[in-house]
Amino acid sequence: MRTKFFTLLAVFALAGSAVLVTAARPAGGSITGKVTFTGTPPKMKPIDMSKEPYCQKLHNPPIKTQDVEAGPGDTLEDAVVFISAGDQGSAPASTPVRYDQKGCQYIPHVAVMMVDQPLQIYNNDPNAHNIHPLPKVNSEWNKSQPPGAPPIDTKWDKPEFISVKCNIHPWMHGYFVVLKTSHYGTTGADGTYTIKDVPPGKYTLTAWQEHMGTQTQEVTVSGGAATANFTFKAMPY
Amino acid sequence: MALAKKITRNLMLAAFGVALATPCVAFAQDTGASVNGLTGNAEAGKRDYRRWCVGCHGKEGNGEGENAPYVDPRPRDFTEALFRWRSTPTGTLPTDQDLYDTITRGVVDTLMPTWRPLTPQTRVDLIAYIKTFSPKWQTQKAGTPITIPPEPPQTIDSVLHGRQLFDQMQCWKCHGPEGRGDGPSAITLTDDKGQPIPPYNFHDGTRFRCGETNSDLYKIFMTGLDGTPMPSFADSLKPQDAWDLVHFLRTLQPNVQSESRNVWLEYVKTHQGQIKPIGAESAGQ
Amino acid sequence: MNSHSPSKMTNRVVAAVPALILLAAVLFPAPKPANAIPAFARKYGLPCSACHIGWPELNNFGQVFRDNGYQMMNERDSPITRDPSYFPITVRITPQWHRESANNQIVDNVPGGGTDSGTHPGTLTTDGFDLSGLDLWFAGTLYKNISFSVLPSSDSTASFHFENAFVRFDNLLHSSWLNFKVGKFELDLPVSEKRLLTLSGDGGFYYIYHFTPLNDANPFGGIGDNQLGMELGGHNANSYTRYTFAALSSVDGNVGLTYSNGQAAGRTFDYYGHFEQGFNTFGNGFMKVGAYGYFGYAPTFFQTSNTTPIYGRGNKPFSRTGLEWKWYFNKWLVKGVYLHGSDNAFLANGIAANSGPLPPGLRAAKWNGGFVEGQYIISPQWIIIARWETVHMAQQADPSITAGDTGNLNAFTIANRWYPFMFSRAGLALQQEYSFVRSNGVTNQGGAFGTLCTDAGRVFNCTISSSSLMFGFDFDF
Repeated sequence: MRTKFFTLLAVFALAGSAVLVTAARPAGGSITGKVTFTGTPPKMKPIDMSKEPYCQKLHNPPIKTQDVEAGPGDTLEDAVVFISAGDQGSAPASTPVRYDQKGCQYIPHVAVMMVDQPLQIYNNDPNAHNIHPLPKVNSEWNKSQPPGAPPIDTKWDKPEFISVKCNIHPWMHGYFVVLKTSHYGTTGADGTYTIKDVPPGKYTLTAWQEHMGTQTQEVTVSGGAATANFTFKAMPY
Repeated sequence: MALAKKITRNLMLAAFGVALATPCVAFAQDTGASVNGLTGNAEAGKRDYRRWCVGCHGKEGNGEGENAPYVDPRPRDFTEALFRWRSTPTGTLPTDQDLYDTITRGVVDTLMPTWRPLTPQTRVDLIAYIKTFSPKWQTQKAGTPITIPPEPPQTIDSVLHGRQLFDQMQCWKCHGPEGRGDGPSAITLTDDKGQPIPPYNFHDGTRFRCGETNSDLYKIFMTGLDGTPMPSFADSLKPQDAWDLVHFLRTLQPNVQSESRNVWLEYVKTHQGQIKPIGAESAGQ
Repeated sequence: MNSHSPSKMTNRVVAAVPALILLAAVLFPAPKPANAIPAFARKYGLPCSACHIGWPELNNFGQVFRDNGYQMMNERDSPITRDPSYFPITVRITPQWHRESANNQIVDNVPGGGTDSGTHPGTLTTDGFDLSGLDLWFAGTLYKNISFSVLPSSDSTASFHFENAFVRFDNLLHSSWLNFKVGKFELDLPVSEKRLLTLSGDGGFYYIYHFTPLNDANPFGGIGDNQLGMELGGHNANSYTRYTFAALSSVDGNVGLTYSNGQAAGRTFDYYGHFEQGFNTFGNGFMKVGAYGYFGYAPTFFQTSNTTPIYGRGNKPFSRTGLEWKWYFNKWLVKGVYLHGSDNAFLANGIAANSGPLPPGLRAAKWNGGFVEGQYIISPQWIIIARWETVHMAQQADPSITAGDTGNLNAFTIANRWYPFMFSRAGLALQQEYSFVRSNGVTNQGGAFGTLCTDAGRVFNCTISSSSLMFGFDFDF
C-alpha cells in the first residue's frame, strides 16, 4: 500500500518536474554589440531632388545617400545582425512590418522581417512612387502607388537581402532583409544592436551591411547578455 | 499464311520499337510546355535553340550570346525567369501562351525577329527548352491570367477620364505630358541589368513590343513589365478606369487610327482653352 | 553565281552537253552557287543557321526574310538604324581540289599527232587544285521597304559579269502581297539553283533548268539563268503562300539587247509565273507544293542592215512548265521538281520562220525531266545531300532520230557538307562531293568519233558518261 503511494508520488513528481522544466525556461538571454568599421568608407553625397520639388523643399539641406551610414566613433547604422546558425526555432511573426515612402525616402532605410511576415508599404507623399524590389531568389515585382493609394500588402517566402528602388525617383534606395529567424537586431545611430529572448546555446551570428558585405562570429549565450562586436574594413569606393 | 505471320511479326517489332522510344520522349519533357493543343519537347527545343537563338541568348540562356554586346536592347536572360510581356500579374511567371505569343510576334524595335515562319510545334518545343534555364519553373506555377472585361465604347467621357488618370497616376513623369517618352524621370530609367531603357514613346510608336491591340495596351499597365521600370497599376486602377486610360493613350498616337483619337480631336476643336495641360496640378512640375 | 559553263556556251555547244561537261570542268571548274550572305548575319546578330538550313540554302525563316525584301520588319531594317560603319558586302569563293573525267572523248592515237595520227574514243581525266569563281555580293535595304542587290560575279579567271542587279519596292500599299522588283535577278524557281548545296563540275547545277535538246537552236539557256525584267511577287506573313509573276526581256538575261551568243534579240517578252502553298504536317513537319511556268519567245531570223542582224524576227514560242514538292520534317528535307519542256518546231530544228512551211514530219521538241533531292540535316553544321536527276525526250524534233533515249540524261550527285563553325560573322564549309552524269547521243564530234556515234541514217546511240570528284573549301565573309 505505501509502496504504491510512493510510486505514484514519484511518478507525479517526475511528471510535475518535467512540466516545470518545460514550462519554466531558464531566463532568456540576449546578445548585444556594436558594429564599427576601420579605414575610410566612401563619401556619401547629397541627393538632388529637384525632379520632385515637393521632396526637395522638405530636405533643406539635402539628405545624403545612405549606402554607408557612418556615425561618431566609426559606427555603422542600419547594419543587421542575426543568428544564421544554431537557432533553435523561431515562431513565425504576424505583426506587419511597416515601410514608408516619405519625402521621397524609404523609412526605414533597411526593413527587417521574417519569411512570410506581412509587409505593408505606405506612400505618404503627394506624388506617385513605384515600389520595385529587386530580388534574385524571391519573385521580382513592380507596383505603382499613386498618392492616396492604400498600402501595399505583401510578404516574402524565401530568406534574401532584397534591394528596393523607385524608378520615378532614382535616388530612392532601400532594403528588405528577409530572415528565417526572429533573432535579429538592427543597429541604431550609435551603431549598437540588441537581440532579445535568446535561449542559452552556441550560435553563429552574421552581421550584414549593404555596402560592406557580411561577417560571422560565434557567440555563446548562457542566460545573460552576450556581447558580439563586428568591425568591417571600409574602402573609399 | 506465312505472309500474315511476317506482317504480324513486323508490326510487333514496330510496336516494340515505338514502345522503346516513347519513354525517352516522355523523359525529356521535364518542365513541359503546351500551347494550342501542342506539347513541347525540350530535347527538340534544344536543337532548335542552337540553330536560331543561341547567337543572342547564349548557350546557357543567360542573354550572353556572342552577339549580345552588339545588340541593343540586350537579349533576354532566361536564367532569371523574369518576363516582361505577360497576361499574369506582376511577380508571377507568364503562361506558355504568353511565351508563345512573344516568340511568334517578335519584339518590334529590337533585334528579336518574328518567328512565325517556324512551325507551331517548333515554337512550342523552344518554350519547353527555355523553361529549363531557370529552376523557378520547377518550383512555381505560372500566374493566373488577369481578367480583361469587355472594352467599353470609346467615348469622349472615357478619354477625358483617362486623361485625368494619366495626370493623377503621374504616368507623365516618365512618358511625358504628350507621351513622347520625355518625362522628367525618363533619362534616369534603367532596367534590371542597369542598362538605360527609354519609356515608350506614344507619339512615334505604332506597335507595342507586346502587341498592337487595345487589349494588349490594357495588359501592359495592368500587369506591369517585370524587369523594367514600368510598374503594375492593378492595385490602383479599376478595370473601368483601365479602359479609360487605354482610350486616352490612343489619343497620344497620331500614327495609329483609333476611334478615341478621332473623338479627342473633335473635342479639342470645340474646347480650345478649356483643356488643362497635363502635369500642371501635380507636385511642382 | 552559278558560274558553270552552260550560261556561256553557244547553242550548238549547249546541245552537246556531255562532251562539254568535261571541257567546261577543265576550263571553268567548280560551279559555285552564290547567295549566302554573312552581311545579313552581321546586321541582325543572327547565326547563319537562323536563315539557312545550311548556307546558302534557305529555311522558311530565311525565305520570309528574303520575301520581305531582306527585312525583319521590326523597324530595324533601314540603313539608318545601323551604325554607319555597317556595309552590306559579302565575298564568297571556293578553293578546291577536283577531278573531272569523261569517256567517249576524242583521243589522238599519237599524243600531239592530231587527227592525222588518227583518233579513238577514250576516257580523259584531269585533276588538281583549282579555284571557283568569286561572288562579291551587296544586298540589303536602301531605305525602309526598298531593297536592292548587286552581285558582280567572276569566273575563276576573275572575268566579271553581273549575276544580278535589281531594286525592289517592298510591301506596296502596306501589303506583303505586292512587291515589285526590276533589274536582273534569279527567277523565283521552285528550288533556287543559286542556293544549291552541291558545287562540283557535274553536280553544281540542276540539269532540268538548262537542258536543251540536240540540234535545238533556241538560244534560251534555261530557267536557271538569271533574267532581265520585272517581277511582281507576294507572300503571306509566314511565306506559306507565295506567288510571283515576271515579265522578262527575251535575252536570257544578257545585257546589250543580245543573247549571250551574240545573237540579236527579238524584242519580245517572256513570262514566268510561280505559285507555292505550304502547310504544316505532323510534328515539326512542313510541306510545300507548287507549280511554275516559263513562256518565252526566241527569234528564228533577223532584220538585217547591210547583212548585220539588228533585231530578231520570226519569234517562235517555247515553254518550261512543271510542279514542285518539298517536305521538311525532323532532320530530313526531301524535294522534287518536275519539268516539262517544249520548243517550237522551228526553234527545235533551227529553221527560220520565213523559209516557208516546215518540212513535213518535223515537230516540236518535248521533254520531261525532274530531280529528287534528299538532305539529311544531322545538325545545322553537317548536311548530307543526295540527288538523282533525269531528263527524257518525249518527242524528238527530228523524226528521223529513232533512238528513244537520244539526248536523254541521268545524273546522280552525293555530297557531304560540314561547317566547322556556325557563327554570325563569316562562314566556312568543307565539301566532299561526287557527281556522275550520263548523256545519250552526241553530235558534231567528227572524225573517228563521228563514225562511232553517227551513221548515215542519223541514228544516235552513243553514250557519254562524265564524273566529278571534289574536295572544296567554301568560305564567305
